[in-house]
Amino acid sequence: MLQNISKLFRNCGHRFLLPKFPMSTLESIESNPLDSELVPPSSSLAKSQNFKRKLEFMPPNMEPKQAWLENLNTTDEEKISILELHPQVFGSMPRIDVIHKNVRWQTLYGRMDLRQAASRAELPGGGRKPWPQKGLGRARHGSNRSPLFYNGGKAHGPRAPKSYFYMLPYDLRVLGLTTTLSVKLAQDDLHIVESLDIPTDDQQYIEELVQARMWGPSVLFVDEQDVMPENITKATENTRHFNLMPAYGLNVFSMLKHDTLVLTLAALNRIEHQLLLNIHRNKNGKHQFRYMPSHH
Amino acid sequence: MAVNRNVVDRALAVLRTLPRVSLYNLKDHEHRKKRSARGQHGGGTHGHGKKFRQNYLPLGFESGNTPFHLRFGMEKYYKRYRLEREYPPVSLLMLQKMIDTNRLDTTQPIDLSSICNSGVYSMNINFNHHGVNLTDEEGFDQFCAKINIEVQWASEGAIAAIERNGGVITTSYYDPLCLHAVTDPARFFLKGDPIPKRMIPPEDAIEYYSSADNRGYLADPEKVSLARLALAQKYGYELPKIEDDPDYTMLTMRKDPRQIFYGLEPGWVVSLKDKAILKPKDKELLEYYRT
Repeated sequence: MLQNISKLFRNCGHRFLLPKFPMSTLESIESNPLDSELVPPSSSLAKSQNFKRKLEFMPPNMEPKQAWLENLNTTDEEKISILELHPQVFGSMPRIDVIHKNVRWQTLYGRMDLRQAASRAELPGGGRKPWPQKGLGRARHGSNRSPLFYNGGKAHGPRAPKSYFYMLPYDLRVLGLTTTLSVKLAQDDLHIVESLDIPTDDQQYIEELVQARMWGPSVLFVDEQDVMPENITKATENTRHFNLMPAYGLNVFSMLKHDTLVLTLAALNRIEHQLLLNIHRNKNGKHQFRYMPSHH
Repeated sequence: MAVNRNVVDRALAVLRTLPRVSLYNLKDHEHRKKRSARGQHGGGTHGHGKKFRQNYLPLGFESGNTPFHLRFGMEKYYKRYRLEREYPPVSLLMLQKMIDTNRLDTTQPIDLSSICNSGVYSMNINFNHHGVNLTDEEGFDQFCAKINIEVQWASEGAIAAIERNGGVITTSYYDPLCLHAVTDPARFFLKGDPIPKRMIPPEDAIEYYSSADNRGYLADPEKVSLARLALAQKYGYELPKIEDDPDYTMLTMRKDPRQIFYGLEPGWVVSLKDKAILKPKDKELLEYYRT
């Protein structure tokens, strides 16, 4: 399985060079144990809030994944707290093949091919026998619109409308989301913030923030509901590489299209809860599906 | 396919050294390529030659002699197959496992609805499955739960194992129309149909469900308590006194022979959207549902 992953990347061309990452989240956790020094005294969050998350469906031997809770109200990042993330959502096997299937499905299911090539019956004329059956020394023909003829009809051409619609099995779509989130976290492309509140509605602010924190050129901000704070809406309005998305719109294609994924705490709770419900729902009897990938 | 947690963690660690997973470096596993109809053998005419057109011989034709499938007279093995009821089994071991893994709540009476809702047992009404057959093949020695259970068929050993632990077992019959409601109550309530009343068992089942030895729901309760004593003596255990049990009310909860769900009478309509129960007032309807 490991060989498969590295083979995938060797075979496909490197479109993007590996940028210089800051010290990774995990390394920073190990070298700087959480203590009061990490939370700047100026921050109002220093005093009160307890960010300990209760993880559902956790067997005792499973260890949670960890990520920093960051802020958006200053250009430079301030690490507020360590959050525990469910390993079945944020630490599942990186299934590149499942990601591929999801991306293929998302791009194809809306595709409609409206091309139509005229068949011999749809072309004008072609009813009369072009020349007599015998005597001319020519090949015998019945119509000058047959596929054999120049300008004749197409025998097996595209026949509109052709739909490419299909539904990827439900469990594969759920697995696609968990795998992509795991990949994002593993590659340091996932950041969790308290909320999408920013001090100004200036586009420059967001650009400087992303630049300073070395987040990817494109960023996807995900909040729980579809009504976003005013400042960030105005700041990202004219940029096509900073996008806002509600939690219900989370999808594999968007997560891969944007280099960095930023979740608010509320969005994180909602996404984790929904995905865990679907991973652990009743799958027997009437609810059986043909493909049941296991979540590790 | 269960992958070791260590392998998953190693895979995620390897990903950190690789380029960012994006839309441009995804690949699926290779799938076997479809063999196209090309070539001398199997191509084009698909093995039928080029000179002669479609000349399909009848299926099973044996070039003249009476074919195998016509040589023998009809054997009506499946003549009364629709009347043959089937009871997909649940062993005592399976039942104990379901209780231990919290798929069944022992503080409430267990019936076919709870067993189907546990997600571990499945039956298909279209295949003439009529409910649970509690067997004592596995788990007779290990069973140690005190429960009030209602099944559709029970072996003598299963009855003994349950009563030995101070529980109560009843066998009852659900006709196919009621089974649709019982096996998937959520789906049934979404329909908005009135709860049906249970019909009496068919002729070949009435004797089973009226017999105290099988703890049938139509049996005389006095004979049932006598049968409990007799079974305890036969299997050599002391019959616990249910009257002294703190869960006495739960253990003695029983459904009326016409009742499907505990706490709900036939004829009532459950509206999930309005979160209300509608009860009939008409005399004829009340008479129909209560008899």
